[in-house]
Amino acid sequence: MKNVFQEAATTLDIPSVQEWKKKDRKVVGYTCSFMPVEPFYAAGILPLRLRGINATSMEIADSYYGPFVCSFPKALLQVAGTGKYGFLDGVVLSNGCDTLRRLDDCWRKMGQDIKGSLPPWFHYLDVPHKPDGHAFDWYVNQIKKMMAAIEKQFDVTITQEKLYHAIKEQNRVRSLLWELEKLRRKDELKVTGSEAYTAIIAGTVMPRDIYAGHLSDLIEDIQNRTVDVAANRKRLFLSGSVCDDFDLIHLIEQSNAIVAGENLCFGVRNDEDIVSETGDPVAALAAKYLSGSVCPRMMGWYQARSARLMNRIKNINVDGVILQNIRFCDLHGSENGLFERDLEKNRLPSLRIEREYGPLTESGRLRMRVDAFIEQLSSGNQTR
Amino acid sequence: MRPELKEYNLDWLFASTFNVSKHLCNATPKELKSMFKYIPYVRGLLEPLLATGKPAMTFLDFFGDYYTEITNAKKNGKKVVMTTFCFDPSIFYAVDNVVPVTLEIGTALTSMLWKRGSTDFMDYCTEIGFSETGCSSQRGAMGAYLAGLGADIDLVALNMGGVCDTNSNAYAFAAQYLNVPYYGLDYPANLTSEDVQEYHHKDYRALIRFLEENTGCKFDIDRLREVLEEKRKQDDLMNELEEMQRLVPNPVPGIYHIMIYAGRFIFSGKKKYTRMLGEMVEIVRKNAEEGRSGLKKGIEKNRTFLLYIDNYALGISMVEWFEKKGISHMGSILSRTFTETAPYTTGIPGTTYRIDTTTLDTMIDTMADINARMPMTRTIRGPYDAPNMWLEDSISLAKIYNADCCIYNGTPGCRNTWSNIKLLTRDLEALGFPTHIAYADSFDSRVEAWETTETRLDEFYKIRGLL
Repeated sequence: MKNVFQEAATTLDIPSVQEWKKKDRKVVGYTCSFMPVEPFYAAGILPLRLRGINATSMEIADSYYGPFVCSFPKALLQVAGTGKYGFLDGVVLSNGCDTLRRLDDCWRKMGQDIKGSLPPWFHYLDVPHKPDGHAFDWYVNQIKKMMAAIEKQFDVTITQEKLYHAIKEQNRVRSLLWELEKLRRKDELKVTGSEAYTAIIAGTVMPRDIYAGHLSDLIEDIQNRTVDVAANRKRLFLSGSVCDDFDLIHLIEQSNAIVAGENLCFGVRNDEDIVSETGDPVAALAAKYLSGSVCPRMMGWYQARSARLMNRIKNINVDGVILQNIRFCDLHGSENGLFERDLEKNRLPSLRIEREYGPLTESGRLRMRVDAFIEQLSSGNQTR
Repeated sequence: MRPELKEYNLDWLFASTFNVSKHLCNATPKELKSMFKYIPYVRGLLEPLLATGKPAMTFLDFFGDYYTEITNAKKNGKKVVMTTFCFDPSIFYAVDNVVPVTLEIGTALTSMLWKRGSTDFMDYCTEIGFSETGCSSQRGAMGAYLAGLGADIDLVALNMGGVCDTNSNAYAFAAQYLNVPYYGLDYPANLTSEDVQEYHHKDYRALIRFLEENTGCKFDIDRLREVLEEKRKQDDLMNELEEMQRLVPNPVPGIYHIMIYAGRFIFSGKKKYTRMLGEMVEIVRKNAEEGRSGLKKGIEKNRTFLLYIDNYALGISMVEWFEKKGISHMGSILSRTFTETAPYTTGIPGTTYRIDTTTLDTMIDTMADINARMPMTRTIRGPYDAPNMWLEDSISLAKIYNADCCIYNGTPGCRNTWSNIKLLTRDLEALGFPTHIAYADSFDSRVEAWETTETRLDEFYKIRGLL
């Protein structure tokens, strides 16, 4: 199953997605963790998280985006411009950040220039920047509007039963991810960060049922392992901007370290990270997806967010934390600054790095900084 | 940070500068000449400002008042609320115990008045953890307040969520760093639908509750009405100036734009601001009657519309350069009010605001509607080519003011506009408006020296045959 996950995490031509398409089923791309996937499964559509992997240049994206923006949306646009997302039946864009919401503008414009680069259906999901009160109601309404748009575009009906079922099945995946997280919290660590994170990323692009089966197998396999991969290595936690490429974790683990946990847009964060299976399903989705205000896009909610993260980091029992942000990602960039201060207060060593999204062209620089951090941790000057 | 900067309180410095400067309006040319020798950097703003006569005196007077209020806030038992330029401050003037401090105004002032601008304050923000790529318009003055070199901030309230991440993120950072309460109004991408209107109104009411809870302030219906009625007068005067700007030659001096929006961002709803606008109208009317351009030389060679903001490096270099070249400044994204009575809002009802002072509820809704239509919260919130957004606004304004060309000038920190300025430029060019993208930073001349910006502007006007 390792190869299945690795294949899904590192390529855009994913066999299980190709199989899905062969059965004349639809695939819709999306860009942000605040987009609920359950309505798509309820409609029999595969929601596929868009990635900019394999973008080796930015010549198309640079024609639309200006120079002072994050390389993640640029890479998405570049990949779309080269036709690699031609298999998509639609895309849901949302306001994860300013640059990401402008992907809507840029992609539509690119569609005028590059024939076939625009998917047949575009939907904009307007996610509020606060989780409660009128913002919660707004988000519920947005999910309902998106469901209506799915029904109209794809000529399907999303019944309450189907939605309940999709919630239940997605919760099953979340429970498995939580099992994986718990295994990574043990003193004896039997899975590397690269392997675990590859499996987590794969879950955002593979059909749910196939993925759940493989994930279950992986968990069982890990439980039966006897080697402690963290022995004599520093346990680290990785946090910050979106990272859907396990190369960064692989690079960190090439130093004398193991990544025991991440907070990077993907995966689950705690055992409460599930959708309620009772009551109104749309309200339940809204409650889950807005809960915890997990991303710095939810401005003014730093304290709640950092308290949860600090708690999680302590539970994972790490030696240090790497805080990274993609250049021009001001949201994570400045939140990392605040969190670095709070980690220091809690006597948790941290390293703050800035990087570009995509192929690790700057691997030497990053490796040097990680090596230095590990050395610092090993010198005994930094203690938990 | 340079030690000398730590010697003075920023608000006190501004208050002192303006309170002294306003007396220069009575000075003789000889006295002014002598004075300018001693204030080589402040001169960059003061000289062109004083040349406007009466409006300058009022402008300096209310800027002095504004910073004196901030300086004395604690002594007077008032709470200081940190806010942004796109938040209409008139709500704060409807209560007794709140004083607003607008970061971007402070940053622009230091850029215009000080040799090295607010670069030390910007770098201080980076030192304490804020992203170095964050927008310079906040980072400047914010550094001073975070370093304890300005008024003690009691709370943060702003309105850029959903419009400008870098802006609201900076204020969220400041609130967290200072450990003070934060409230950000949030904006969906759409402007006119009923559910969006409802969202605006509910969000603004939640803001009022936040202000009441955190400042103990009480909104007085009569006072709020008075402030809004004053605002109505201000809108009418701005409308008159805008209307006259359609004349060829344009009788409005370019510097007025900066004075008008700077005043609106700090003194909206206050009588002295109304007075300045009245004084401007009087001068512009006379220019219009005599067919005179607002340019000092009196000859208009080109009419340029700024798609975004002005450049505040070393005085008001861009405005002065326009003066030198005979270019009429047709305003920027910051210049417009989007009140329903503005000349450029004809034919787009529903996208504007109406001041309704009938009841407390209608007044609160009015405030919400105004905030949702402040320059950036209106124009750059949704897709650039959606109805009533950046493209449509720019085209209609460029047409109505008979602009010959357009310029984008901003800050590299603006993720929002740098994500679609190439698209906008392409569309404007296709419609026949030569458009220049400046890569300078309006508040930080380390990014691009003014001389370089000037050379590029010169090149643009020459190559496109615009002068």
